[in-house]
Order: sequence, then C-alpha cells, then structure tokens
Amino acid sequence: MARDLAIDLGTANTLVYMKGRGIVLNEPSVIAVNRQSGEVLATGHDAWDMIGRTPSYIVAVRPLRGGAITDFDITERMIRLLLQRVGVSRFTRPKVVICVPSAITEVERRAVTDATRRAGASDAQLIEQPMAAAIGANLPIDEPVGNMVIDIGGGTTETAVISLGGVVALEAVRVGSFDIDAAIQNYVRREHGVAIGERTAEEIKIQIGSAEPGPQDRSADIRGRDLVTGLPKTVRLTAEEVRFAIDEPVAAMVQSVKRCLAKAPPELAQDFLVRGMYLVGGGGMLRGLAARIERETEVPVKMSPQPLEAVVLGAGHCIENYQALRGMFMGSHR
Amino acid sequence: MIAMSFITKFFTFMACVSGGTLLVLVYLDNRKSRIDDGIAQFQKHINALSPESRRNSVHHNYDERRGR
Repeated sequence: MARDLAIDLGTANTLVYMKGRGIVLNEPSVIAVNRQSGEVLATGHDAWDMIGRTPSYIVAVRPLRGGAITDFDITERMIRLLLQRVGVSRFTRPKVVICVPSAITEVERRAVTDATRRAGASDAQLIEQPMAAAIGANLPIDEPVGNMVIDIGGGTTETAVISLGGVVALEAVRVGSFDIDAAIQNYVRREHGVAIGERTAEEIKIQIGSAEPGPQDRSADIRGRDLVTGLPKTVRLTAEEVRFAIDEPVAAMVQSVKRCLAKAPPELAQDFLVRGMYLVGGGGMLRGLAARIERETEVPVKMSPQPLEAVVLGAGHCIENYQALRGMFMGSHR
Repeated sequence: MIAMSFITKFFTFMACVSGGTLLVLVYLDNRKSRIDDGIAQFQKHINALSPESRRNSVHHNYDERRGR
C-alpha cells in the first residue's frame, strides 16, 4: 500500500512529505542530464554541485523557473526519480498533493498534474503555496480573523490574506530570490567588469546581502572572470553595494505585499496591526527584509519558525486530512 | 364499459398525482440534506485546520526537528 505524498516542487528546493512519517526528502530542484544519451546523471545536492562546472555533454539545470515548469520532460523525470527515492514503485501508486504558485496558468497547472500522474501518482492535486504555507506556519486560519502570509520563494513572491480556511486576498509576482542572485551577477558584471556564476551570487547574498542597513554590514572578496582580460580576478564587494544592486527585486516584493494589503477587506486589515504578517520561504531569510517590509507597510512582520519547510508541512497536513480538506485543492468546487 | 374507463382514468390520475408528490418529497428531502451536507462539510474543513488537528502533522514535525 503506497503512502500518500505532499511535494513542494519549488524553483529552488524540492521537499517531500510522506503521510504518517513527515518530511522524508529535502534537496535542490536540480537535475543533471547527459545531453547525448538523455540519461539522468544526478539529482538534488549532487546535481547542484555540478551547476556551472560541467563538461559540454552534461547539462545541470533547474527545470522550474518562476514556479513554472520550463522543461516538461525533465520535470517529469525529476518527479519520477523523487517518487522512486521515497519508495514509490510501479505497483504502489500514491495520491500526491503538489504545492504550486497561485499565479500558475491553466497550461502550467495541467503540466504539473500530467507530469506527476505520468511519474506514478494515482491522483495529483494542486494546492496554492500561500495556503499551504499558512497551514504549515501554524497560523490560526480556522478562525474568523485576518492572517497574512508572505511566501518568498526562489521564483515567486506570494502574499495572501486567509480567514476561515480560505483565501480572501492574494497577490503574486514572479520575483524571487533567484532574481536577487541575478541582480548581484549583473551588478558585479556592470560595475566591476567581472563575470560570476549563479552559485557565487547566491553565496554573496547569503554572506553580505541585506535589504536594510544593519550593524553587521560587512564586505567580501569575490572571485570571478575579468571580462576584459579573461583572467581570474578578485574584487571586494561591500554590503552597501549589494543592497543597492538588489534594490529593484526587493522593492518589487515589498510593492506586492502593499498591493495585497490594499486588497484586504477593512475588517481583516485591522487584525494585521495586532497579529502582524508572517514571512515564510527561503527568500524571506534575506537579512533585513522583514524590517524593510515592516518599515514600508507599518505592519509588524514575524518570521515563521521553519520558513523553508512551512509549505510542505502545510501540504502534508492536507494529505493527512485528504477528505476534509479536498476543497482546498485548486480546481475543486466546494 | 364507460364505468371501467372512468375507474382506469381515475386510478391513472391518482397514480400520477402520487408519483408526482413522491418526486417532490424526494427532491425536498435531498435539498435539505444538501444544505446539511454543506454545513457539515464546512465544519469538517474548519476542524481539520484547527491546532488540535495540526498537532500530528505540523506540530509533530516542528518538535521532531527542534529535538535533533
């Protein structure tokens, strides 16, 4: 008998929750494929280590961008491998709940469900990420009060107001932490004439990136390739420079939160001032981001205790209570 | 012959009326149960989101990870 699964198929990381067991897998959404034979060579952490360092016949890619499948075939293979790794075989076909961005189109929705069914699921249901995040962050969404959740992932930023088990207002933009990495790459290329890879850009963001000035502002030496000479070069980057570089994507995220606040009914809006907003997702861990949102919206922002796992835990709760929470799945009509 | 025809018509009429009444009653009963189903379903949905319900999945996972 197959154990049902919940999958957070994120742009950056993929997490799998197994019914009755909890989170059984957490790794980067990366797959390495042999271009010539089409064989899968590595997935997850192993494939992530290969990004930007592969010979010409190997390609290590993230099959999801902005929360959407950019390569259907590779995504299907990745899901199939994920299911195999958690013990799904040809004879055990579990029900699967997959977390997807709320701004997903009908075509993308069908692509995800088809890929999951073809990968071995008996039934594939989709749930909106902010809804799953609110359940996983333990917000009191069963009560008639306004709960606001901001989920900043690798490719999307989604803000939702939830009350009485349903979404009241929603705002989503296809801007996430990968856009911050790209902004750092572009800045270093433009201002210092040095090309750096996406992994280096991510490390810079983690080490010295911030959305607000703070006491821990530092600088870092980064290594890349000089665009003029083509030789390896080291340049020093300050926290202030990084803040300037990433201001555009950060501002887009904050604007999206403001738009969601504006959409919320006044009765619920007053709850936010008391209860605050909850930040989940890996992108929300950017230093100073909560403070910046708080400064610009004048609403308190709290960080979820498990920002990276909230979404899959929420979806896991739905798989544990599949019948009662069926109405939450996308496309279901309560 | 005339009397038999009358009795046949009468019983046919009665059968139609009874059948119709039965259909209306069945429809009303279904409608009532559908309304009740909605309330029950919503209550079930809300209960499934309560902190007690989340104890096994969300809380349990948080505690387990914190303990590691």
